[in-house]
Amino acid sequence: MAAASLQAAKKYATLPPTVRTLASGVPNAPSINLSARAQDAHHHGHAGRSDVPPKWAGGYQLSSSGLVNKSFATVPATGVFQQRTMHISAPRRDAPEVPDLSAYQASSASSNRALSYFVIGSMGVLSASVAKSSVTEFLGTMSASADVLALAKVEVELASIPEGKNAIIKWRGKPVFIRHRTQGEVDEARQVDWKGLRDPQPDEARVKKPEWLVMLGVCTHLGCVPIGESGDFGGWFCPCHGSHYDISGRIRKGPAPLNLEVPAHDFNEAEGKLIIG
Amino acid sequence: MGFATAFYNTFAKRNSVYVTSIFAGAFAFGIGFDVGVSNLWDSWNRGKQWKDIRHKYVEGGDSE
Repeated sequence: MAAASLQAAKKYATLPPTVRTLASGVPNAPSINLSARAQDAHHHGHAGRSDVPPKWAGGYQLSSSGLVNKSFATVPATGVFQQRTMHISAPRRDAPEVPDLSAYQASSASSNRALSYFVIGSMGVLSASVAKSSVTEFLGTMSASADVLALAKVEVELASIPEGKNAIIKWRGKPVFIRHRTQGEVDEARQVDWKGLRDPQPDEARVKKPEWLVMLGVCTHLGCVPIGESGDFGGWFCPCHGSHYDISGRIRKGPAPLNLEVPAHDFNEAEGKLIIG
Repeated sequence: MGFATAFYNTFAKRNSVYVTSIFAGAFAFGIGFDVGVSNLWDSWNRGKQWKDIRHKYVEGGDSE
């Protein structure tokens, strides 16, 4: 491995011998002395070899790094053709300043990728749960608190209301009528042809258990509280303007437009309780 | 190696699967976190809460 990297570090590049030539035909090589002349023709006899390139074209120099051959110009071969036996290549290092980072490289690209996705996904899971609980907590502040919810319901002991009697309790600031109807009253309420009434509604839709009638004690006309066990129909009678309600709380006579309202209620069979709200 | 590739291929290859599993994981994490913290609280306060001492004061602990 070390030998291979050593080989890889030493690459040889063949540099171009020159860049461009001036108009005079002399190669543009600013670092050399162009005043040097080739040997004259009349010295030819003493000149020795004819294939020696002129001085300005290059030559040997003794520099600090050793003997360097520089060739500045493309000198046409003079005289005999000569194979160039000396190249101008210099050993060049491949980015010698870069340290060896292989120790820091991930051993496996796929596990590296999986780890990245896992970290991002875990962050996403945490952020999503934080966002979800923030929204949930914020919405929780909008809902009614437990004490308000506790006040919004009322419980009635059904055993305390004998058959054929009314009870009036207060629920959310309004009176609520609870009538323990006898079987005869139930039959009377169900015999009525309810389709012809002003606010047609069958008795079955108004009660959850036939013997228990639960309604808001507010006249649908102008909000007076009707009087129980009175009126022409054996039910309730509003003294303010004379509305008559029957034993199912339906309007039968008078100015009121609607039947008495039935609130949401439920029965707790185990304890014999009625829960309104 | 094999686990990492399986994880990537199962969850992260498609963004739809990735995001969906993130949301599902957040849901599961929320539930698990709540349950875990409740259990920690109960074990930390063992013997102090009403449900731990209720049987001393209420006859027939199972009926409400």
